[in-house]
Amino acid sequence: MWAYAARRIVIGVMLLLALSLVTFVLFFASPADQARHACGKQCTDEQIAVTEKALGYDKPVLVQWGTFVKGMVTGREFPADPELKKTHPEFITTCDRPCLGYSKTNGVTVNSLIGEAAPISISLAVVAVVIWLVFGVILGIIAAVTKGTIMDRGIVGLTLIIYAFPTFFIGVFFLKFVVVKWGLLSYPQYLSIAEGGVGGWLTNLFLPAFTLALVYLASYVRMTRAFVLESLGEDYIRTARSKGLNSRTVLFKHALRAALTPLVTMTGIDFAGLLGGAIITEQVFAYNGIGKLTVDSANAWDLPTIIGIVVLAGSFVILANIIVDICYALIDPRVRLG
Amino acid sequence: MEHFLSVEDLRVHFKTADGIVKATDGLSYTLDRGQTLGIVGESGSGKSVSSSAIMGLHAGTTAQISGSVWFDGVDLLTLSQAEMRKLRGKEIAMIFQDPLSALHPYYSVGKQIAEAYRVHNSVTKKQARTKVIEMLELVGIPQPDRRFDGYPHEYSGGMRQRAMIAMALINDPSLVIADEPTTALDVTVQAQILDLLQNLQKEFNTAIIMITHDLGVIAEMADDALVMYAGRAVEYGPVSEVLTHPEMPYTWGLLSSVPDVTADTDARMVPIPGNPPSLLNQPPGCAFHPRCVHSSKVPGDLCRTTLPELLEGPRGGGHLTRCHLADPEQIYETQVIPEIAPMQAEER
Amino acid sequence: MGKKLKRALAASSALALSLGLVACGGDSGGGGSANNDPGVKGGTLNYLQSFLYESSDPQRIYYGVQLAQWRRTVYRGLVAFPMSEDPVEGTTPVADLATDTGTASEGGKVWKFTLKDGVKWEDGTDITCEDVQYGTSRVFANDVIIGGPNYTLSYIDVKDYPGPYKATPAQQAAFEKAVSCDGKTVTFHFNKPWADFNQAAAGMMMVDPYKKSFDQGDRSKWKVLSNGPYKVEGGNWDKNKGATLVRNENYDPATDNPDQLRKALPDKINWVINGSDTAGELFNDRLIQDAGEDQYAITSARVTPQQLPKVTQEPVKSRYLNVVSPFTDYLVFNHKKLTDPKIREALAVSVNTEGYIKANGGDLVMEHADSIVNPGTAGYKANDAFKGVTDGSGDPEAAKALLKEAGVKMPYAIKLSYPKTPTADKSMAILQESWNKAGFKVTLDGQGDTYYDVIAQPDKDSDLMWAGWGSDWPSMMTVIPPLFDSRPNISKTTCGNDYGCYESDELNAIIDEAANAANVEDQQAKMQEADAFLGSEYAYIPLDNQKFNWLRGSKVTGFTTTPASSSYPELGLIGVSQK
Repeated sequence: MWAYAARRIVIGVMLLLALSLVTFVLFFASPADQARHACGKQCTDEQIAVTEKALGYDKPVLVQWGTFVKGMVTGREFPADPELKKTHPEFITTCDRPCLGYSKTNGVTVNSLIGEAAPISISLAVVAVVIWLVFGVILGIIAAVTKGTIMDRGIVGLTLIIYAFPTFFIGVFFLKFVVVKWGLLSYPQYLSIAEGGVGGWLTNLFLPAFTLALVYLASYVRMTRAFVLESLGEDYIRTARSKGLNSRTVLFKHALRAALTPLVTMTGIDFAGLLGGAIITEQVFAYNGIGKLTVDSANAWDLPTIIGIVVLAGSFVILANIIVDICYALIDPRVRLG
Repeated sequence: MEHFLSVEDLRVHFKTADGIVKATDGLSYTLDRGQTLGIVGESGSGKSVSSSAIMGLHAGTTAQISGSVWFDGVDLLTLSQAEMRKLRGKEIAMIFQDPLSALHPYYSVGKQIAEAYRVHNSVTKKQARTKVIEMLELVGIPQPDRRFDGYPHEYSGGMRQRAMIAMALINDPSLVIADEPTTALDVTVQAQILDLLQNLQKEFNTAIIMITHDLGVIAEMADDALVMYAGRAVEYGPVSEVLTHPEMPYTWGLLSSVPDVTADTDARMVPIPGNPPSLLNQPPGCAFHPRCVHSSKVPGDLCRTTLPELLEGPRGGGHLTRCHLADPEQIYETQVIPEIAPMQAEER
Repeated sequence: MGKKLKRALAASSALALSLGLVACGGDSGGGGSANNDPGVKGGTLNYLQSFLYESSDPQRIYYGVQLAQWRRTVYRGLVAFPMSEDPVEGTTPVADLATDTGTASEGGKVWKFTLKDGVKWEDGTDITCEDVQYGTSRVFANDVIIGGPNYTLSYIDVKDYPGPYKATPAQQAAFEKAVSCDGKTVTFHFNKPWADFNQAAAGMMMVDPYKKSFDQGDRSKWKVLSNGPYKVEGGNWDKNKGATLVRNENYDPATDNPDQLRKALPDKINWVINGSDTAGELFNDRLIQDAGEDQYAITSARVTPQQLPKVTQEPVKSRYLNVVSPFTDYLVFNHKKLTDPKIREALAVSVNTEGYIKANGGDLVMEHADSIVNPGTAGYKANDAFKGVTDGSGDPEAAKALLKEAGVKMPYAIKLSYPKTPTADKSMAILQESWNKAGFKVTLDGQGDTYYDVIAQPDKDSDLMWAGWGSDWPSMMTVIPPLFDSRPNISKTTCGNDYGCYESDELNAIIDEAANAANVEDQQAKMQEADAFLGSEYAYIPLDNQKFNWLRGSKVTGFTTTPASSSYPELGLIGVSQK
């Protein structure tokens, strides 16, 4: 298994390199003139050239990419200006490996930007996953065992209706009505566990996480329902019943074990995707996680941050895939990693 | 005399959007301890459905069940779910056709067998494990203590079926329903499994219902044979009678479709023409008549219009047949045997 | 006030439009009411802000609102605009850190300021002339200090100066000659006259002091070393969350002019930032609701058009303010195509601005404009060419007569370009309809994000283009020259901000005279002449001055807007009621 994981990680690293290169190329293929934007409207061409150099966008794309990759291994210093380092060493920001770069827009390293944003996205993802898994699986099971009844149709129908609403709409609805108009909840504002304790952390996360969970709820309900139904039709369920097991044991021990396995994969991938930021939810609730950072840095043409997030989100997905595969092997004895 | 198992007028009907499917329609038979009843028929003839009804496995479906199933003096069909659950796996056990899909892929074989034991006996895990290993040894699985923790996919087909048998017999049931237990296995393994079943039957004095479409298995295992067609019994009697003096053209068809390995090279396998009827809209009269080559020998439209009764034939001896033919014995001797087994015909 | 602010506003109005929330021409005419309660010291003000700052380094701040609000709270300048609602008084600098508003000499090429005694940084050290010199020099280090206004680069009389970080001793000496210190007196030497320099110094922070030992280059981007009545708690501005402003104990109101420049009434200001697209609307929802802490709150987010019906009625109306903003919208002719002034005049006299304003949401959102110069600008004067012309529904008969005079065939085809939004489509259709009745045949050309790049092209086929402008400081020098002086604007590939590619040696000569004017009065007179000239040429058609709609919490006092605050709530006057 370790050899398998190691091999997958090597492939993953290569994928990330390719991913970052593509992002570099795409960025520079765009018509936006980052230097002109940063310099301001009174800038002469010479001043723009100086700014471009200051931003590090003057070198060929491949060289910039090479510098980026090297920084991941060795760390970097910003600005990479030996002259300035000599005269004003206190101006230099050190970026330890794996250095993802330095965001001029924010005036800090991408590592520290992500370091600040990641806990928010992770918290949001964790709470959302818990909410949608708990509700999705429970409702899915209820729908499956009551297949064809009003209960079943009600659950499936309701989750579909929720699914049809855009996240943006649901989030704004919660804020405009539940929070502002009716005053049922206080305005959610991210608090870390250190700042607000577990209680404060959870209360503030509830609305955005719930909004986010609603996106996934419908598909998890329907999938759980389908998997449970499929599993209930299997021969081994008949075997279990013919042993004289009660229907609860049959459902929970035999049917669910098989039905929920595919959900592990899906949850893993969805969760990893969320670690890369829940763009709309974070945007609506002004949670400064990876998703909002993505939007902000894209709007500001902040290449280093964009690259950093791409690499980070990419590695989350790759890692999640490896972990899911390993989990699968642990859950299903038939699967062998090789 | 009261039989150990007595199925009387068992009907299993399913309500569907298209109408009522009469999967089993008025089935009756009896079985005693230590005896084996072979139920034979094509797929869809109702043989599995009827035995599942005995097990009470249709609960929670749209099945409508009527008739009675007297088991050791109790009508199983009147029992509650909970009462039935106590019997399932304990008094009545089942062996399934495809052990790979009948075993849960995520649990070790030993665990699954132990579960069957523990649900009816309050024992510790350790005790259960000892018992399971004992059973595995009994059914001929080598190194059973190591095999206990193996998963179904790590077992060979024959081993899996042995494990299934161990699971069925672990609570010393008085009735075992074996639903095509050897169909998925190759011939040599088949024989071993049947031997095993027979030996265990002797040891435990178990009654066995052997469901199969293979007359060879019936010949080897069964005391009585019941031929089913379209949800009804069409021929029923002691195996020696049914197999050597079959009186129903469908049974003849089944016999002729068995490859006879001992026969000459020119022995022909004659498949039954046509397809089994839909259980949804059964033709009136004899269900078999559309496929029956001998229906012309019956005067008038009788085969098409009137369902024949299951009656004792001229040979007596509890050999029941559902057929309008006046002298089936004569037709079998003169027309069927020469066709399917010329050697045998000459011997006669 | 400039492009950055414009960008922020464009983003917020685009959101309102994208939500499909367009007001339907309310004409309740409610101007709301300023709350001129003098207020008392103490309490906590909540400042709700819906966009992110780009820096908290004085030399890197360009957002107009931030410049205005921070001038009142953390960064004092040599001079500052007073908190007067009067357009003249409010755009005339008064002394702040300096003892007076500066002394110009050599025809506006030399400016001299002397620092007051006792002005201190939040760390208790004195603000020195060298701090002003250093702050001014930082702008030149445009490989590190980027993002702020840099007009000084083209004025300060120094060559090849790379900023203080990398300058050779000789380069540094040259700069320190151009911006020289003599005790507490700093002298700026320019290479050309800069008559309204003290306005620029009041409105922006290019020449604000900066303490050298505090400077960490780009690492200072979010640090604040205050010299105003408040300091940022913790010393760092959180880009995404804002900060809490608390009293700066090293600030001495005796060195200041609290009544004119900053009353600094609240003890504490919770500056809350929420960068979400919907934040502005939600902030105003909260202010409408007026519950709990929000009673002590103001916001820099404008009331959205669909919230207007609610805020123009009691009980919210008394907490609502409707004011004219520094943003003016206009139509500019493509002077390469519409060469005949008669045709331009015909379009001007028949423009239906009444219908246009109604389609945009009515007089809560816009007012009629009679010059491209916003009324909040120092020296503003209505343009005679448009007086009584652009304040109604247009005169189609007069237009037809002019077209007849011009001898062109009617209907005369016109292509009208504008940045496409649902509201713009509606209001442009109104203009189209009335022009079509006046002998024109107007084709509408709504465009996407690259609108301003497209209309800057010299070879575009538009006849008439919509545009908006807000100036960097309230001087006409930041309106007419950037928009109509052909020399900095027009090159082979672009017409720059002179979208109509207007070229007039006569106008350029007037602009030069204004630029070389020794004092502001002369300069303003010249600029008024320039605008009158543009009017006589029918170089453009003024459409509207945008209006802002503001709400406050019920416990907020001193709620008004001033020219200095870019028509945003004037933070320097605001207090919170203790009752």
